Amino acid sequence: MSFTDFVNLLINGTVEGLLIALPALALTLVMGIARFPNAATGDYMTISAFAAVGVQALLPKSIVLAALGAVAAGIAIAVVFHLWVFRALQGRPLVASLVASIGIAFLARSVLTFFVGHDQQGFQLPLVRAWNFDGIRVLPTDLIVAGVAVAAMAALFAILHLTPIGRQMRAVADNPDLGRASGIRVRRVLTVLWAMVGTLCALGGLLFGAKAIVTPEFGWELLIPAFAAMIVGGIGSPVGAVVGGVLLGIAQELSVPFVGPSYKIAVAFGLLLLVLLVRPRGLFGVATAAR
Amino acid sequence: MASYLVAVAIVALIYMLLTVGLNLQYGYTGLINFGHVAFFAIGAYASALLTLKGWPLAPAFVVGMVVAGLAAYPVGLLSLRLSDDYLAVVTLGFAETVRLVIQEEKWLTRGVQGLPGIPRIFQSLGVGGYAELATLVTLVACNVAAVALLVHLVRSPYGRLIQAIRDDEVAVQALGKDPARLKVQVFMLGAALAGLAGAFYAHFITYISPDQFLSLVTFYVWIAVIIGGPGRTSGAVVGSLILMIFIEGSRFARDLIPGVSEVQMASVRLAIVGLALILFTIYLPQGIMGKRKV
Amino acid sequence: MTLLVAKNIVKHFDGLCVLDDVSFEVPERGLTGIVGTNGAGKSTLFAVVSGQFAADSGHVDFAGHDIGQLPPMKRARRGLGRTFQVPREFGHLTVRENLLAAAPRAHGETLLSVFLGWRSVAAEDAELGAKADHWIDFLNLKAVAGKPASTLSGGQKKLLELGRVLMLEPKCVLLDEPFAGVNPVLIGEISDKLRELNTSRGIAFVVIEHHLEALKALVQHLYVMDQGRVIADGDPAEVLEDPRVHEAYMGGVI
Repeated sequence: MSFTDFVNLLINGTVEGLLIALPALALTLVMGIARFPNAATGDYMTISAFAAVGVQALLPKSIVLAALGAVAAGIAIAVVFHLWVFRALQGRPLVASLVASIGIAFLARSVLTFFVGHDQQGFQLPLVRAWNFDGIRVLPTDLIVAGVAVAAMAALFAILHLTPIGRQMRAVADNPDLGRASGIRVRRVLTVLWAMVGTLCALGGLLFGAKAIVTPEFGWELLIPAFAAMIVGGIGSPVGAVVGGVLLGIAQELSVPFVGPSYKIAVAFGLLLLVLLVRPRGLFGVATAAR
Repeated sequence: MASYLVAVAIVALIYMLLTVGLNLQYGYTGLINFGHVAFFAIGAYASALLTLKGWPLAPAFVVGMVVAGLAAYPVGLLSLRLSDDYLAVVTLGFAETVRLVIQEEKWLTRGVQGLPGIPRIFQSLGVGGYAELATLVTLVACNVAAVALLVHLVRSPYGRLIQAIRDDEVAVQALGKDPARLKVQVFMLGAALAGLAGAFYAHFITYISPDQFLSLVTFYVWIAVIIGGPGRTSGAVVGSLILMIFIEGSRFARDLIPGVSEVQMASVRLAIVGLALILFTIYLPQGIMGKRKV
Repeated sequence: MTLLVAKNIVKHFDGLCVLDDVSFEVPERGLTGIVGTNGAGKSTLFAVVSGQFAADSGHVDFAGHDIGQLPPMKRARRGLGRTFQVPREFGHLTVRENLLAAAPRAHGETLLSVFLGWRSVAAEDAELGAKADHWIDFLNLKAVAGKPASTLSGGQKKLLELGRVLMLEPKCVLLDEPFAGVNPVLIGEISDKLRELNTSRGIAFVVIEHHLEALKALVQHLYVMDQGRVIADGDPAEVLEDPRVHEAYMGGVI
């Protein structure tokens, strides 16, 4: 592998990793606060992405409106299912929320495919050519993708650490009973949490659609890599989700010359297993996946 | 008509084997296995590949079962180190990876093209429907045996201990017992049943491809376990029958409702499965046959 | 002879020091009590001694052996049992089945015996059943012996946990609030039973409790914890008169 190839793979991997980091963040937030893996995370992304496609179909000129449509859809779906399903399952064993989240994933995807079919869709984005620095290729789209992802993460960190609601969320993550006892309105915190989850998933779906073609299955297929990113980075750690995502993205890209492009999900799964066996805590995690 | 019903019954019994196995893992022992379809696939492909190489059916079936059970060993070991919800996602990832490997390693599995021409069960009985009947009878026998063995297992001290593990693993350890051994064994037993179901499936349908082993199948079986009632073998039986009625019924429904394509019907089925998972989890977690809350 | 020694146990959770250089010891056939305000670290101490959590530093010795590296099940097998502050009953199993599931060295719990050893398993189960019935009688749980453990009252669940740990034939039992949720009328009865187990079977008990009067009457040695430290220990009556102990409880909930 030449140096140029290596750098190109590194760049691709970083951008893809930043993409994976967004649903990984959504997963890690829910894990930290509601303490279960939300298997519907991927399909929240899918719905949001298709919402953007839909808006674009109606109003072809406005990318911004399409993006807003995606975010609105993401927030709506996340909050609605929280209010309808997850809130009803509070106090029940976590497997209940987990199984229900699978149900939500299926329900969301099937409603989508019923109306929209299984065809792939693309966003209408202005065509751009890659910049070429001596063989090192950088797509302007990728820069935008990376930029938006980083901005979203920065906003998330700002909210978590600089706002009262963020402080409350972190308190509830640490100790829900103590949080409730200190007068934190847990209901409100949870609703805000899910709105944030919806936003992150929407952005993930949008950015994915900006880079690649979307199919109704793409979100579900990102679930394992997102989960792997969360585990690698450490559950409950937003920083970990980002670092984990980037590491995973790079690992996946670097594996392509060796195992081919189809095995990316297997690489993610392999990394997931490795971390669980060797260092279940992940890079920055506090809670452990192991006993 | 009769041959249609026999075919439906055969598929129902295959699902029953799958459900009984998952019920042992989740209903009785509390293992959240989201990768059940992987062992179904492994049993199917192992048996199919062997018989396509000339092996007789019976040993191929046994090998399918054994390979599926053995494949569960590393996954079972993982379950020792992971709490419930992580096991779920890891098993899910395992199933997706298995399907990916089946898809990509064309030299072995012919990838997406699949394996056609798999020898029928009881091929020697010709095409008059006798082969299907004999298959049906064999499957009934297998299911009866599986259910009988399971009930015996569950009523034994072993069964007591796996339920204790499901109820409170920390307490089991505080009493000096190691949950690990049993969890791995239960995982392998359930996987072996899935492998057997896979072998039956391959040799009944006579053509298998990776598309038939999507994770959707795992969750069909989960629905059967949940609707019937986790932790009750009668629940597994009832649940798998209800599942079959639903799947076959949806085929009829499509004939009755104009303007709905097969693809759309697939979406409706998926939606109902999703809805059922949500509603049963919220309102009837103990299932139809369950008295006690899980 | 000292049976159980915990020395210089230190444990942090998320940066908070929950156990700060805690030491205690229990002689053979001892009856030791641990009291303290909520959050003093008592249950955490039990968790460390029983192996559920690893200490950041310190020793735990049992019957002359360092058990600090052993997981909970190995410690239990050596004769160190424990019950939990919030009962961990096997909800779906009946009371009797709960006790049977606790019986050590049960051959019926291997897969081979399930399929090949029916008769010997049945015989073994009968034997264990007799033992379980003995404890059920002893703890007055006969009326609920056949009921699922999840249907029991809080106090009954505590008794069930005691019965389960007794099936282990332990040398020492860590009891975490055995009187909590129990009908006050029965507390004296349970105290008597503990004393009886202590004298007739030589079982040592370490008891965390908030019912100071009952504990005072039961134990020979009392430790008082506050905010992760042992602030006093000795004869129960004297310790409870100690001004430092009083000060620690001022405004605290006992």
